[in-house]
Amino acid sequence: MEIDEWIVTIKNGDKESFRHFYNAYSESAIRTANAITRNREKAKDAVQETFIRVYRQISSYNSELPFDPWFYRILSNECLRLLKKEAPLSKFAPDLENDPSLSGESFDQLSDLYAIIQSLDDAHRIPLILKYVKGFSEKEIATILSLNQNTVKSRLFKGRKRLKEQLNPAGKEDSL
Amino acid sequence: MSDFDKRVKDELHKRTTEESNGLKDEIWNELEKKLFNEERGDVRKLKKKGRIISVIGVIAAGLLIALSLQTDTGSAFIKSVKDMFAPEKEITQGTEGQDEETEVHLNEGKDSEYIIYVDETRYKMIKGEDSDVITTIEPLPEKYPEVKMEITQVANEKPEDLVKKIEAELKADFPELREIENVTKPVEGYLLHGINGSEWDSNVVHLYVISNGNEGSFVIREDYFLEAAEGHGARFHFMLESFEIVEE
Repeated sequence: MEIDEWIVTIKNGDKESFRHFYNAYSESAIRTANAITRNREKAKDAVQETFIRVYRQISSYNSELPFDPWFYRILSNECLRLLKKEAPLSKFAPDLENDPSLSGESFDQLSDLYAIIQSLDDAHRIPLILKYVKGFSEKEIATILSLNQNTVKSRLFKGRKRLKEQLNPAGKEDSL
Repeated sequence: MSDFDKRVKDELHKRTTEESNGLKDEIWNELEKKLFNEERGDVRKLKKKGRIISVIGVIAAGLLIALSLQTDTGSAFIKSVKDMFAPEKEITQGTEGQDEETEVHLNEGKDSEYIIYVDETRYKMIKGEDSDVITTIEPLPEKYPEVKMEITQVANEKPEDLVKKIEAELKADFPELREIENVTKPVEGYLLHGINGSEWDSNVVHLYVISNGNEGSFVIREDYFLEAAEGHGARFHFMLESFEIVEE
């Protein structure tokens, strides 16, 4: 059974379909939430809340639009809500396009790729996570994060550039 | 995919997989508790909703008889069906992936046949001869297609017959109209959904046909446009959850 059919049956409160849907979507959702929140408990809460919302609000989903961006929009919002709850001064700010420093973290001390990704500011880190964990396109990431597609393009470009610089300080990009 | 992209993807996959071990079952157990234990309550509520029409009718009739027996001015005590419901309440609307607390206000339909709570910060209810329309307080600029929810009672046609007629009519404007669906939320009945394109301003029709509790139907037709699906479409949905038929 595919997502379109699950949606119809979940709308009617079918637990079995919801279980199948959960099995199909939960692993990627948990990995994405883990990467965004950097915290197992927060990831658990975010994913749990997302599935609850989907179950309860599935009737408000417009099936003419793709489902995955709708689902990940709820998940991302939930992750960001939990992050903001703990750190009111979240680094997820929309005006970082021209900030060359990207983040206050010291990249020089980082050699672990995952740690480098996670040290980026949220504005660049989250689009990268959506791209690499779930394989979303720039257009889909723009929908999920309610951003302009060009903004996403720019953030992905700068985020990747920064990663490359940190992994290869001597500028040997070919080896990457 | 470049070597670099593959490296980033593999690293994220490896690390997030390690950190996610065991969470899938843990979360499912919580969901089962929260959704399906509570859901039994919801199911009861849904079944109860089917009975609510007659229960409200019985209570209203009882009150009217009791009061009219006691006093000639008994009917003055019940000014309208509205008195039986809270005049306003706060609901949580999940629009565009985010929760939004909204105060909604009780509105009575034509001839007090139903009640619905309307988000009066954004919409107004206009009562007409044959139907009531909930639409934006201020008309939208010309470039936007019409946004409204129209509620009409068809007293002499059962939902199962009426929905087929409406389906045939709608197909003229919405050739790719979806098959008739049976739904239980936000109202219990039949759903027709159609869209006439894939542009931001393509017209969307979202129409429910439900029983009026007797031999007739209520037709609830939502019109909006594709880009407004998660905004106006979702808000209509949440308002409609408060829809109750009131029988005298």
